[in-house]
Amino acid sequence: MSPFGLDHVLTLLIVIPLAGLVPLLFFIRDDRAVKQVAIVTTFAELILSIVMLSQFHIGEAGYQLHEKVPWIPGLGVSYELGVDGLSVLLVPMTTLLTFISVLYSSGGAIKTRVGEFMAAFLLLEVGMVGVFLALDLFLFYVFFELMLVPMYLIIGIWGGTRRVYATLKFVLFTLAGSLLMLVAIIAVYLASGDPGSRTLSLPELIAGRARFSADFQFWVFLAFGLAFAIKMPMVPFHTWLPDAHVEAPTAGSIVLAGVLLKAGGYGFLRFALPLFPFGTQAWLPVLILLSVVAILYGAVVSVVQKDLKKLVAYSSVAHMGFVTLGIFVLNAQGAVGAVLQMVNHGFVTGALFLFVGIQYEKTHRRQIADLGGLANRWPLYTTFFGVFVLASLGLPGLSGFVGEFLVLLGTFKFNPATGPGGLFWGPLAAIGVILAAVYLLWMFQRVMFGTVREAYRSLPDLSPLEVACAVPLLLLTVLLGIFPQAAIAYIEPSLARIIALATDASFVVLK
Amino acid sequence: MITDVGAVLPEIAVTITALLILLSDAVLERSQARRWLPLLAVAGLVAAIFSGPFTTNGGSYFSGFVIVDTFATFFRVLFCVLAILAVLVAPDYLERRRIPAGEYYATVLFSTVGAMAIALSADLISLFVGIELMTIPVYVLAAMQRRDRYSNEAGLKYFLLGAFSSAILLYGFSWLYGIAGTTAYAGIADVVARDGLTGVTAVAIALVTVGLSFKAAVIPFHQWTPDAYDGAPTPATAFMSVAPKAAAFAAILRVFFGALGPLEFDWSVLLAVLAAVTMTGGNVVALAQTNVKRMLAYSSIAHTGYILAAVAAYKVGGSAGAAVLFYVFAYGIMNLGAFACLAYLDLGGTRGATLEELDGFSRRHPGGALAFAVFLISLTGIPPTVGFIAKVFIIGPVLDRGFVWLAVTIALNAVLAAFYYLRVVVHVYMYDPATGAPRILPAPLLSVGLGVAAVATVVLGIVPDGLYRWALQAAGPFVVR
Repeated sequence: MSPFGLDHVLTLLIVIPLAGLVPLLFFIRDDRAVKQVAIVTTFAELILSIVMLSQFHIGEAGYQLHEKVPWIPGLGVSYELGVDGLSVLLVPMTTLLTFISVLYSSGGAIKTRVGEFMAAFLLLEVGMVGVFLALDLFLFYVFFELMLVPMYLIIGIWGGTRRVYATLKFVLFTLAGSLLMLVAIIAVYLASGDPGSRTLSLPELIAGRARFSADFQFWVFLAFGLAFAIKMPMVPFHTWLPDAHVEAPTAGSIVLAGVLLKAGGYGFLRFALPLFPFGTQAWLPVLILLSVVAILYGAVVSVVQKDLKKLVAYSSVAHMGFVTLGIFVLNAQGAVGAVLQMVNHGFVTGALFLFVGIQYEKTHRRQIADLGGLANRWPLYTTFFGVFVLASLGLPGLSGFVGEFLVLLGTFKFNPATGPGGLFWGPLAAIGVILAAVYLLWMFQRVMFGTVREAYRSLPDLSPLEVACAVPLLLLTVLLGIFPQAAIAYIEPSLARIIALATDASFVVLK
Repeated sequence: MITDVGAVLPEIAVTITALLILLSDAVLERSQARRWLPLLAVAGLVAAIFSGPFTTNGGSYFSGFVIVDTFATFFRVLFCVLAILAVLVAPDYLERRRIPAGEYYATVLFSTVGAMAIALSADLISLFVGIELMTIPVYVLAAMQRRDRYSNEAGLKYFLLGAFSSAILLYGFSWLYGIAGTTAYAGIADVVARDGLTGVTAVAIALVTVGLSFKAAVIPFHQWTPDAYDGAPTPATAFMSVAPKAAAFAAILRVFFGALGPLEFDWSVLLAVLAAVTMTGGNVVALAQTNVKRMLAYSSIAHTGYILAAVAAYKVGGSAGAAVLFYVFAYGIMNLGAFACLAYLDLGGTRGATLEELDGFSRRHPGGALAFAVFLISLTGIPPTVGFIAKVFIIGPVLDRGFVWLAVTIALNAVLAAFYYLRVVVHVYMYDPATGAPRILPAPLLSVGLGVAAVATVVLGIVPDGLYRWALQAAGPFVVR
């Protein structure tokens, strides 16, 4: 029994948004009631995820709050949930961003078909939370795909003018990767044992991973990697991202950047690395190269963007490059940095999309050239936005710094047997940090300073609701920047274990 | 004799129901008939489901013409369920389109009896009788809208090609009889086990393969499908896109693994190539369609390919057979549902079913649109739906058999299919209704039928284990040792 009297917290985390759907569908015609139900549900979910955080034992590497019930015995599938240091911060991040998205959307950003929007959001939350909790490969896949349809509808119904093109591109890219991963998951199941003892449970698979031959790992890692690389997205699979972000409604952009992209990095660390150490080693050079390319390419492309939302979208490509770089240098600093960077990117880029959305709601312009001088009219907006911009470019004292710093530290320590090492990749990646300062500050200058347009003079500053949405993100950004150790303490033991599994030298493959 | 009759009680129940419907159609007044005939049909089918066992150790009846094993009982229930759905989605459409209701229900039920007979067959003769009893009513169903020339075209095309393929099939059966001197599967199995693959057997197999491929719509024997599905009255299309296909696969399993199972010849590579060609061809052509009925017709060809992939993995044993049965069940519910959703649009007598006509369907009929989306997502193979689980069950044995390329082909085909299925969802959910789009007429029974099917699609996607274990047991007779 836990101190809060809650035993199946993880299951509850999955059930609450589903339960919220019931009253929501009942009131689907009543916009006011629907908004209230959605806000209450996502707030309850947020509180519960904090309860989960409080039940988590810091310093243990293994899975906690573990639950397991057989689901489809014919496929060795069980309903298996658990958290460790990798996921324990990502879950509250998800619930917070969802709550903020719902809160912001209920303020008038979504005007048509509110009931359907909120229903899609709750369903999306089930998928997002489930992805970070599932310890069974099949269950993970189900949640991974469950995120797809609601987001498809959110972009396609409430998006911008080219929404249909953007949403189909998003879905088809994602499906192409994930269906190949499904084939790989079934292949893992078949390779996991003799008929009758096969399983898809992650802990059991890791224990029995010596059965996976090096050749098998090479191909299966490719299939998993492709799915995660598209989701992240890594260059050159990123082309869906700018379209999806630009067309998505603000709330959709927030969770798309804040949460959905993390599913890729999370998948690498949770499944691909510990299960397929040989596959990881085989694909390592390519993945490091692509990560650094993403950092530089994302940054360079961001510099020349004329559309504010597209700029933030491309900056995500660069930031995700840091995440994959941190993962694939295969040392504890890099991995901890990668997870911190994921959490930080969730809050900061989520906030940036929120502010771009707020600004668009007021001015109806997204072209940077059309904006300018807003700082004079909107002091509050400018302050918040400025802090998030600084956090995004990695200013020490704000959350962005620690993650990127640890990733770079890990990169410099990277020392492979063959090929270029950390001293080659590290400086290249560091250039990305400088470029981030260039495009972000230049953007901030063009949008906020200068002379203000006549049409924008009468536009109001942040409303109380918008401030309420931004304050938690601001607090977390500052807190994570000043006390990163608090977060690292949660993350480190589990990540050390994952890296140890991925680099275990004593590990022998049986044919 | 009494035990023989007892063994086929469900078939008798369906037949009697069909006769009762014809009788009451003649006796009852129109308004009375409209109300009671669907209920009578559903009651008869439910009675049929529960008058037989769900699992059994198997028994031979009617001097070896009929076998009642779990394979037969599985399909028996499946056909009755499909018939129930086909009855539920029809009344509103029939009423508005002035299609004679009594004849429609009776024809569906007779076709169902034929399909059940196929699953029960233990002999080429009873198999052939079953096939004809199933398909002839379906030709009638296709042409049931007498004054509509597309419906006539559908019926005629289906009839000509169906008769042609039946002839080829029967010719193949006669070769088998010539080889074995008997028409019983068991007798044929003994002879092919003794003689192995001879030139004569090869000819017989080729003829039977072609005949059954027509029935299942395997490429290149699929050309009748789009026209027949497109022209037929929509509820009839819903029924004929699923029941005959399921029955064709029942026949394929009975003949190839019952009668010809002992052959040492390995046709799995041949079947795998046919499967890959069928799924890819169906999907590629479906991509180009703007008429949703034709699009679903081509996509149903692609689904034949997926099922065939599991058949190709038959050497793996029970899991391959179970995959076929599970997929056929899942496909039956979701594809019938998808076609029936189109009935909302052409209720009023328009020809219906272009993509543009679906614009804003979610605004005009939220419930129907939701059901439609569920079926389409399930057909795509996205969780948590039965279509997703069914694909997983197919990919398993295919990989186990070593056909990695085929598993990858299935995955890539699912992406192709996602494109056109989700494009329909785009029109349903993301476009506004055209100005002057006709109001969608209320169709209460259609909504009930679709609701049941949509709930089943999701529930079976979340708790598939019971159905899968049943399918595994039913596939027992075909486990290759």
